[in-house]
Amino acid sequence: MGLVLVSHSATLVDGLREMVVQVAGDATPVATAGGTDDGRLGTSAPRIAAAIRSAIDAGASETLVLLDLGSAALSLELATEELDDTERARVRITEAPLVEGAVLAAVQASIGASIDDVVAAAESAATMTKLPRS
Amino acid sequence: MAEIQLLVIDPSGLHARPAAKFVQAASRFSSRIVIREDGREADAKSLIALLGLTIRPSSAITLAADGPDADEALAALAAELAPYVTSAD
Repeated sequence: MGLVLVSHSATLVDGLREMVVQVAGDATPVATAGGTDDGRLGTSAPRIAAAIRSAIDAGASETLVLLDLGSAALSLELATEELDDTERARVRITEAPLVEGAVLAAVQASIGASIDDVVAAAESAATMTKLPRS
Repeated sequence: MAEIQLLVIDPSGLHARPAAKFVQAASRFSSRIVIREDGREADAKSLIALLGLTIRPSSAITLAADGPDADEALAALAAELAPYVTSAD
């Protein structure tokens, strides 16, 4: 089980990766694809495909991809077309919020949960409480 | 059901990293384990449930476990939380 974090900003996913690994531990591979090849804000299909492959190479039998904004979905679609069938079969994509979803997914994965449970944990982030009850 | 009472002493309360470690530790046991705070209860094996409690400094919390490894689980979880809590018994 590996995570692939996709953002328009390389800085954002680098920081998020650091946070995810510190919170959940390093047993779950976390690959990132942030920004464009020439260092601008945006997303890049080849970078996303490379990140998915690197999570698979790191031992992930399945990978869960999280996105920051909907426009990344177009690059992701192109990226999955670059993958072969075996690789593509290992990719799950979620609507989950990027930051909260990545943390919850990584912790869920770290306790040996199934991919379905990891996806559910990530997606529960959309409605999670953050502010303390007043 | 076995229970222990603890008082949160960490100035940040129970924040993300210790909460995640706690969930990982709880998940190693088969017992049903809950954490209670101020009348609310969260599944100790769910990070989202635990973070949803937003446990503040000086909160009194109860860990309760029910199952074949309940006592062992509570001892392990108290040890996991040791830097952040003190016994309230």
